[in-house]
Amino acid sequence: MEVLVHRYLSLWNSFFQNSLTRDMEYKANFLGGLFVDLVYYGSKFFFFTVIYSYVDSLGVFTREDVMIFLVVAFLIDTFYMFFFAGNIFQINQLVVKGDLDFYLLKPVNSQFITSFRKVKSYAILSLVILCSLLFVQIKSYPVDIPFINIIFFIISFLLGVSLWYSIEFMIVSSSFWFKNFSVAGWLSHEIFKFSFRPDSIYTGLMRKILFSFIPMVLISSIPTRILLYGANIKYLGWQIMVALFFFYFSRFVWKKGLMRYESASS
Amino acid sequence: MKSWFIKYFSVIRMTWIQALEYKANAIVGTFAIFSGLIIEYLIWKQVFYTQGVTEIRGFTFNGLMAYIFLCLIVGQLKSSWATSIDMIDSIRTGDLNKYLIRPISFFTYHFMMFIGHNSLFYIVYTTLLILFPLLLPGWAFPSFIHIVGFIIALAISIYLSYTIYFCMVCFAFWFGEVRALVIAYNISNIIFSGQVIPLRLFPDVVREIIAITPLPYLIDFPVSIATNNLAVDLWLPGMGVAILWCFCMTFIGRVIYRYGIRVYGGFGA
Repeated sequence: MEVLVHRYLSLWNSFFQNSLTRDMEYKANFLGGLFVDLVYYGSKFFFFTVIYSYVDSLGVFTREDVMIFLVVAFLIDTFYMFFFAGNIFQINQLVVKGDLDFYLLKPVNSQFITSFRKVKSYAILSLVILCSLLFVQIKSYPVDIPFINIIFFIISFLLGVSLWYSIEFMIVSSSFWFKNFSVAGWLSHEIFKFSFRPDSIYTGLMRKILFSFIPMVLISSIPTRILLYGANIKYLGWQIMVALFFFYFSRFVWKKGLMRYESASS
Repeated sequence: MKSWFIKYFSVIRMTWIQALEYKANAIVGTFAIFSGLIIEYLIWKQVFYTQGVTEIRGFTFNGLMAYIFLCLIVGQLKSSWATSIDMIDSIRTGDLNKYLIRPISFFTYHFMMFIGHNSLFYIVYTTLLILFPLLLPGWAFPSFIHIVGFIIALAISIYLSYTIYFCMVCFAFWFGEVRALVIAYNISNIIFSGQVIPLRLFPDVVREIIAITPLPYLIDFPVSIATNNLAVDLWLPGMGVAILWCFCMTFIGRVIYRYGIRVYGGFGA
């Protein structure tokens, strides 16, 4: 097991170095990516600034809480971009053109290589900026945030990223059934919009759905709650269970999809 | 004029056929509208409930929902960022050559492509708009004149939006890759043209800045007409300013294109 983990880590390291070398050839993309990220973050901040000019809190989330929530949501988004976005958005084209053959022929796990082959290295800059921003926000938060909260937050954060990955991967894997599912990216963007709003706005049946079948609340709201209000074993336990379920389900969907794959002629 | 019409109508017809092949676009587009509406509904419900108010800056809760619903539809219909990305690629890869050696305008050809690709959206959203006053009477389109006003303002908005994108696309002649600019504009446009929050709810300073740009005519203006948030006597002056912006942006686009084509290498970057 240890050898296997080491092998895959060193493989990812090679992918990263290769992607970094390629990305450095197009330095303007670094600036372009950062510019788009800044506009994106700015527009989301502005949205909540307007909302909070009419209200003091949305459920338990005060203005300060929501600012931290947004940074956490952006961090998860950027983390996802860094590791997966360059790969997952391309799966549809790989299936349509039959280029998936080149991945399947490699002596590594096919889901691993299709998920990690390209690293969006420009996201490093955004990650550094967002981590600094989160640090500043935590420092200036009216209540002291204990270190233990940060530990549990990191666990919950990684589970959130894993959930995002699993859901997006399953949506894109639908290409095996639809043949050309070019709107997969758009569809997932619309679904993930729910994770960019604090969970306190969701009530009743909607809340239950977003905690279970479409677990958007578990992506960024729960990590933020754990960071701000302390580890809630009920939330964390549920997040672990759902993340594991969705990850294994994504493996299942991928394997089933591969059985339908018709190579270059599909 | 007749040959011009036949030429470009055949472009629309060709892209209609392509668009009909991708019905999933319309399904996801409709899902996008309703998912967006659900999120806005929940947030504003919380705001109205927490504050215990029945009106915010002249918007009742129902009025605000009708406004946001129409904003989401208009926002999708006028957004030509996908076409813009294709146009940037044409310039970057040298694919533009085929427009230069044929009696066809790069601007008009892609505009017709954009209309054609959106045709499925027009059908689906028109159905939604017809059902809207029937299912929720009094929320929008209080009279026939409001429907006419909305359609005219929407047509202006679609053209104006395209000309703004075209101006940005033309910068690809100098910088090659301007996708980031188009995407950044598209993202900021969702907020600052009033697609998710009515402009009337913005802070005054921001509203004053937006008022001197073409942004209010992209979404807020047509939707304000449809939802009766704009007095009828203000429609014509508003349309006049919007048309002026159309001329202005078309002219700027042409100037940038003229200068850009001189530095165009005609080969793949």
